[in-house]
Amino acid sequence: MTELLAQTFVNGINIGALYGLITVGLSLTLGVMKILNIAHGEFLMVGGYFAFWLFKLFNIDPFLSLPLVAIALFLLGGLFYRILLAGVARFHEEVKLKNSLLIGFGLFLIFPQIAITLWTADERAITPAYSGGSLPILNVRVAYVPFAGVIVAIVVILFLHLLLKKTYFGKAVRGTSENWKAAKLMGINVDRTYLITFALGVAMAGLAGVLVGLTQSITPDVGMSWTLKALIVVVLAGIGSVGGAFFAGLILGVVESVGAIFMGPYTVALGLLIFLLILMFRPQGLFGKS
Amino acid sequence: MLDVDHIDVYHGDLQALWKVSLQIGNGERVSLIGANGAGKTTIVESISGLLTPVDGSIRFHGVRIDRMPTHKIVELGICLVPEGKGIFPGMSVFENLELGAFIPESRKIKGKTLEFVYDLFPILQSRKNQISGTLSGGEQQMLAIGRALMSKPKLLMLDEPSLGLAPLIVKNIFRVIQQISESGVSILLVEQNVRIALGITQRAYIIENGRVGMHGNSQSLFNDEQVKSAYLGTSRG
Amino acid sequence: MDRWKQILITGGILALLALVPLTTTRTDLLTWFTFTLLYITLSQSWNIIGGYTGQQNLGHAAFFGLGALSSRYLWLSGIPLPIAFLLGALVAAFFALVIGFPAFRLRGIYFVIGTLVLAEILRIVVDTLLPRALVLPSKLLSTYSLVPRYYISLGIAFLTVAAVYAISRSRLGLGLMSIRENEDAAETLGVNTQIHKLVAFLISTFFAGLAGGIYAYYSSAVQPGYLFQPVWTFDAVIIVFVGGVGTILGPIIGSVFFVLLQRLLSLYLPGGMHLAVFGVLFIIVVLFLPGGLIELMSKLRNRILGGSRLN
Repeated sequence: MTELLAQTFVNGINIGALYGLITVGLSLTLGVMKILNIAHGEFLMVGGYFAFWLFKLFNIDPFLSLPLVAIALFLLGGLFYRILLAGVARFHEEVKLKNSLLIGFGLFLIFPQIAITLWTADERAITPAYSGGSLPILNVRVAYVPFAGVIVAIVVILFLHLLLKKTYFGKAVRGTSENWKAAKLMGINVDRTYLITFALGVAMAGLAGVLVGLTQSITPDVGMSWTLKALIVVVLAGIGSVGGAFFAGLILGVVESVGAIFMGPYTVALGLLIFLLILMFRPQGLFGKS
Repeated sequence: MLDVDHIDVYHGDLQALWKVSLQIGNGERVSLIGANGAGKTTIVESISGLLTPVDGSIRFHGVRIDRMPTHKIVELGICLVPEGKGIFPGMSVFENLELGAFIPESRKIKGKTLEFVYDLFPILQSRKNQISGTLSGGEQQMLAIGRALMSKPKLLMLDEPSLGLAPLIVKNIFRVIQQISESGVSILLVEQNVRIALGITQRAYIIENGRVGMHGNSQSLFNDEQVKSAYLGTSRG
Repeated sequence: MDRWKQILITGGILALLALVPLTTTRTDLLTWFTFTLLYITLSQSWNIIGGYTGQQNLGHAAFFGLGALSSRYLWLSGIPLPIAFLLGALVAAFFALVIGFPAFRLRGIYFVIGTLVLAEILRIVVDTLLPRALVLPSKLLSTYSLVPRYYISLGIAFLTVAAVYAISRSRLGLGLMSIRENEDAAETLGVNTQIHKLVAFLISTFFAGLAGGIYAYYSSAVQPGYLFQPVWTFDAVIIVFVGGVGTILGPIIGSVFFVLLQRLLSLYLPGGMHLAVFGVLFIIVVLFLPGGLIELMSKLRNRILGGSRLN
């Protein structure tokens, strides 16, 4: 039994790290710009397919393609911000949220269709030669690829954390999220800050997409379920908490994994229910401030 | 140095300012006084670029700034300490001050400016690692002013710095404002406390219902009968 | 335009629509009309809570599903059709009552996320409990006719539109719209926002349940989980926004447009491409034309008439 639990725990960590990574991007956008990007998961899908292409067409190892995906998605995110959201960001907060929600919704309709056209509705998985390999540690099978995924997630999130804490830009981002008017008065170009923040969030979704392509598979409708997961983790963690998002992701991953042993097909539903209860009674999340 | 020329400003669909004009000269201390909602904040927000006039112009050292984005206006040397202080509550005193020197020019001389600010407000130095949201009202106001100074402004605008503060602290803050003025920075003060406002400035404009009313030498305004009955009878302090 | 003209036009349209099954036996045309009417019902029902009250309820599919599932079971166990429909809608509304109070404690994005998650939970539970498709018994299959389905669709669509019309003219409607514009201000003006939102929710979900009933009656075989899929919510939301959110004609025009586009595009474009087109339209509406097609029509009308009308 303990072996089973340990294995399940490890699996939970593996998927939880991905949950954390996809959430951090969403949390950043939500916390700083007060915009909820419902199409966040769609960018994960784009990242995954892009890495798939690089692997299939140019034989680029998925882990090596990570920086490429990051840059490509960063630019894509910036483009989308410029075209769609720059206008919306000026609105008063509630209208802004509703409009950004609706725009994200529109994207959520468009992206999967484009994906089907380009890649068909079949599942696509990125399977380099070392895919199935694993290392047995104390009777637990630690698979190489998911483990590397966890490392990648940790590195990226750490990078973001340092960016926000130590650099001038990062402090400007934090300031802008606390009081954008005052930030403007400090000479901070708030519009450009938003642009970069959004682009960063999208880039991180793309990176998560590569990892999902490696550990699971990419389909045209993979976007919505990951957006939903990210929404759940963001609420669990509290909006705007980068480190919190990662840990909340891990917690969700482990709870789901272990819970599946006992709850079977109802696991996800139960998880959602717990989430709803937290939403109602502790909306600031596990790590957020009141 | 600052020339506001007949500006009309709207909040959404509602007009807030009608043909407002005022001037501030180099090194001057000027104050805007008037009742709540008269439009004083709208004026300084327009100068700062947070609002854009639909008519008229604003010039700083001859350069038109009324259509410039705020961050560019800050780079030109105008800094506003907003009403309600506008500090970043989740960040420390030091981080707030650091952000005040965000613009490239100020970032280079950050260290020296910081010393200057700590000299003016020693308490900010002693609390430099404290999270600013936990400071007292007076300390937050000092932080807000100190932060504005970090950008090395040529014109410093303050919106209601005395709001909600105890008289002793207010005295202290205005003493520092005087010091700042003596270091060569021009001051535009928005203040509900008419007595203090007229006491510390050289000229003043009275704003009524979005328009400029009486204006001129602060001392003469202070002695004026109309001004006395309208504003000094009901002022605090 | 004045009351009599409105009534005459509405009556005229209804009469024309009632004659449709008599003039054609083409099943694809009848299906097309039936679906348009179904979407009118579904979108108008969402319009009540999303358009007039401004609460973006993304869990609408749950109520569609509940109405569909309940009325199908009731009907197939012998209960007369109209009663089955009514009871199905009441089940949906009852569920809304149960979750309404806690749901509306959430504001803004939390409400959006919460309703979405709620519908997901329901869908997973139903999908797990009832994985196999429900098929009509052979007796009913052999006598299956689109005509009664069309008329029921027509009747329910009419009821729904009438309800929205009545609401828009009532004090309830005023209260709802004030909540949409500024909930806090409405509260200070004496509008009991909690009760208003709940009432709008109940009415909205009741009609969503009726829409579900239509679909349950229409389909010869359906997998229960499908009835709770978020696509039912999203279709409604798209139609309302593209048509003209918070208006009476908006969802009607939107539905016609939606089904028409769906049919047209499926002839020339692969699979679900019409969704992508709608996605683009949706974004255009949000950015440039928040009043939807209704606003577009009104602008065109003004342009043609040379601005002699008051907006």
